[in-house]
Amino acid sequence: MTNSRALNWQRLLSTALLYFVLTILLILFMVPVYGAIVTAFKSQAEVSAGGYWTIPTNFASDNFARVMDSKDGNLGLYLQNSLLLTIPASIFSIALGTLAGYGLGKYKFKGDGLLFILIVAGMFLPPQIALIPVFRLMNDIGLYDTLWAVIIIHTAFGIPICTLVMRNFFQVVPNALREAALIDGANEYSIFFRIMLPLTLPALAVLATLQFTWIWNDFLWPFILTQRAESRTVMVGILNLTGQYTVDWGGQAAASLIGSLPTLFIFVFFQRYFIRGLTLGAVKG
Amino acid sequence: MLSRRLILAILVLLVAGLSVAPALADDDLMGDFTVSHYFGGFGGEFIDGIVDAFIAENPGLMHAASPVDHEQFKTSILVQLAGGNPPDTFSYWAGARIQFVVDGGRLQPIDDIWEANDMDSQFPGAVIANAATYDMHRYAVPLTLHWVGMFYNTALFDQVGAMVPTTWDELIDVAEKFKMAGIPAFSLGSINRWPGQFWFDMILLRTAGNDYRNKLMSGEASYDDPEVERAFSLWNDLVQAGHFYPDANAYDWDEAANFVANGEAAMTLMGTWIGGLYAGNEMVAGEDFDYFSFPTIDEDVPRASLGPIDTFVVAADAANPDAAKAFLVYLTDPAVQAEFALGAGNLAPSLLVDTGIYNDVVARIAGEIAADPVFAFNYDLATPPPVAEVGLNAFSEFMANPGDFSNMLARVQADAAAEFAGME
Amino acid sequence: MLRRHPWILPASFLALPLLVYITFVILPTLNSLIYSFTDWVGYGADFNFVGLANFEKIFTDRLFSNAIKNTAIWLALAMTAPTLLGLALALALQGKRKINTIYKSLFYLPICLSPIIIGIIWVWLYSPKLGIVNLFLRSIGLDQLATAWLANPNTALFAVFVAWAWQQTGLNMVIFLAGLTSVPTPLVEAAKVDGANYRQTLWNVIIPMLRPATVVVLALTAISALKSFEIIWVMTMGGPFNKSDTLAVFMYSESFRKFKMGYGSSAAVILFLMTLVIIVLYFRQTAAAEELYD
Repeated sequence: MTNSRALNWQRLLSTALLYFVLTILLILFMVPVYGAIVTAFKSQAEVSAGGYWTIPTNFASDNFARVMDSKDGNLGLYLQNSLLLTIPASIFSIALGTLAGYGLGKYKFKGDGLLFILIVAGMFLPPQIALIPVFRLMNDIGLYDTLWAVIIIHTAFGIPICTLVMRNFFQVVPNALREAALIDGANEYSIFFRIMLPLTLPALAVLATLQFTWIWNDFLWPFILTQRAESRTVMVGILNLTGQYTVDWGGQAAASLIGSLPTLFIFVFFQRYFIRGLTLGAVKG
Repeated sequence: MLSRRLILAILVLLVAGLSVAPALADDDLMGDFTVSHYFGGFGGEFIDGIVDAFIAENPGLMHAASPVDHEQFKTSILVQLAGGNPPDTFSYWAGARIQFVVDGGRLQPIDDIWEANDMDSQFPGAVIANAATYDMHRYAVPLTLHWVGMFYNTALFDQVGAMVPTTWDELIDVAEKFKMAGIPAFSLGSINRWPGQFWFDMILLRTAGNDYRNKLMSGEASYDDPEVERAFSLWNDLVQAGHFYPDANAYDWDEAANFVANGEAAMTLMGTWIGGLYAGNEMVAGEDFDYFSFPTIDEDVPRASLGPIDTFVVAADAANPDAAKAFLVYLTDPAVQAEFALGAGNLAPSLLVDTGIYNDVVARIAGEIAADPVFAFNYDLATPPPVAEVGLNAFSEFMANPGDFSNMLARVQADAAAEFAGME
Repeated sequence: MLRRHPWILPASFLALPLLVYITFVILPTLNSLIYSFTDWVGYGADFNFVGLANFEKIFTDRLFSNAIKNTAIWLALAMTAPTLLGLALALALQGKRKINTIYKSLFYLPICLSPIIIGIIWVWLYSPKLGIVNLFLRSIGLDQLATAWLANPNTALFAVFVAWAWQQTGLNMVIFLAGLTSVPTPLVEAAKVDGANYRQTLWNVIIPMLRPATVVVLALTAISALKSFEIIWVMTMGGPFNKSDTLAVFMYSESFRKFKMGYGSSAAVILFLMTLVIIVLYFRQTAAAEELYD
């Protein structure tokens, strides 16, 4: 009896120690986030005087107004551009990935394994390799400096991950479903649209959160493929601002927070799908 | 270079009634018109205002201006030129950088508008020769003329009883005074590398002179020459003595400039655009801050001014070259040149701009430029971009490991020679 | 086992995705391979084929070997520190406690941030005077350790790496957590009944069962380490004086700062070949990895 009570104490103590260590780690982990939030509400004078981790004294919010102002940071326009780019690019990449995933997951044909590897290998391709040729290609087809150039390239580079996830998904959908429909006289395409597609909703949600986050956060492609402010995305805009506001941490922090809001929204409300997506084939993080 | 008196004489003539309005090509400019520039926080709003005014005069144009951060611009414009889809006109640094893209056939000459508007009479001959002319053709309209000098905190100089130094020894004396007062004499913010080049440029110009420097910039002289060794050794003396604000590579130029403004350092070697920053800090030129020309080191070396000239150029693949050229003509308008100069704190290259518009500091600097027989471009505008990459990294390395510069220079020479060979 | 289908059926599904994928991913990549055999300078229209000259040159290029060295350091650090920390966090937080959910969420919060924003935030942390790292060191009396982290040639690469690892750790934790759910509880219970303590259970039961997850984590970490560019670009641009250049940064600098597109492309090809090695190793383990996806 006494023995087991001692054991309980020991377990409690080790649990307490574990959470103590975890909490310290967590605090360390959250320092950058905390710093960004408090800095966004400080004037530069306050940052220079008080340093980095003090609570802002008067919660100056003009940093936000300044970076959103179309005559100053112009982040409003960039946010709009990022949405106009990220939403269609996510939809297109998932749509194409679903088609390819179905073709590879439900049909067997010569070379299917090789084709699958060829497509999935694209996930691992460093995008820098294709930078210059893609740039020239977009120029040749007259899409350079439009959001369409970035939409297309994110669609194309999103195909591998979407194909991988959807193919794995379709592979586990029971064949009996399909066979039964075939016997009922349905053709292959109505099976895909009427029976298979409704089943894929959870997988689509997973991919939607993943693709949205990656495309929203991307910098390199919009930086290379667009030029005018009219087609600038939020990440390119923010990096431009840091050049403009080198000594203005408040402005940079406010811009960073605003630029992270959409992905933080996904993080808070669609976390389950996002995490599922990461474990299904997390490659880009 | 024209003397100041001649400039004044021309001005008097002009005020006497000559029409100075540049002849705009025609009123029928149509279509999209794209302007790209690197004037981010400093001068950006003024160039945008100028573009807006130009568009207002040409309602047929649909305008798209896109300010790009200075450092990002260096990459993005080349990418656009390479892809054959550049903006119609863009700001660019006169010197080796323009030469580089002219060599690549990416710019179009503007001899036609140059002659039609008699721009030869509007800019100093040296500026035309150095900044506007490449391979015997005019390519660029100068918009700014900047000058590199030592900008200092006047209150701090008074506090330690320092006089403006005119020789190297006096400079060291002043630095020692500040050291005794516990203030670093020089602040340098070289996180983006380029501010470090001014030290090398100025010391080399004051010791080896402009002719030698030109040879070095074009690959005819070598980085392990005694001339370069000596320049680094003088620079090294200052660094080793602890006269520099620590961690130069950790700060940007404006942070370093603010150290001087806040009294944490006494002076910084910087271009006249620092005036735009200080004006934003509500510092009065000539009272809160002042400047002096980089001190003489060797008496017999002719004086030289140093700085960049910003120009606007027309891309060879410009979609709307007529609008681009009309815009370049518009930029020569003395009112436009003056407006930008006042906004960004530089000098207007146009001779038609009344020097009376400048504040005391800029007006005196205009005099320095006029008095010096040479106007040299700073390092990264004087030597081709691939070589400039080698040198700029070397200046950063020097600030981190100053003592070891001899070995470093041998390496720099090997790398620079390879880059020069690669450009053949 | 599915029977073989007439090619027209799968082809009708695959045609459009393949067309887009080949046009905008495969062909540009092959195009880069072609550029790597030329002397193309980006601003010029013409180029000549120079055979293997770029590759001969690159292996004598001091900056290339510097970038390779830094990439190797980066890779070695990336495979160890964030992997072990991610594993430790996953093991610590795998239970069903409510508090674990909150801890997990916060640990992987950095995953949803852009490398651009992470870079910006960490630059302030490392700021020599106002940055929290130095403020903290000074507050506990370790003034001599305070340095300009991103400007100091000895610390720049490591400082950037820490910022990168901040994001990577959460990702690794998530994958290990998924792997842990596939460790059958009866197996762990059985080990306990047999009198194994936690450490023995961990080494003999849990860790071996985590093999597929570990393969995934290591492969993904290696590839993402090789690709990492944006965060370095934002924080140091490879500086000071190339001390934080990795292969991806070297490739970008040579192409876009020195405008040697042909030469830069040859660096891209080498980067691609290195990635290819990892991809092949990864696919040889795919069978193991696939278990994780169920």
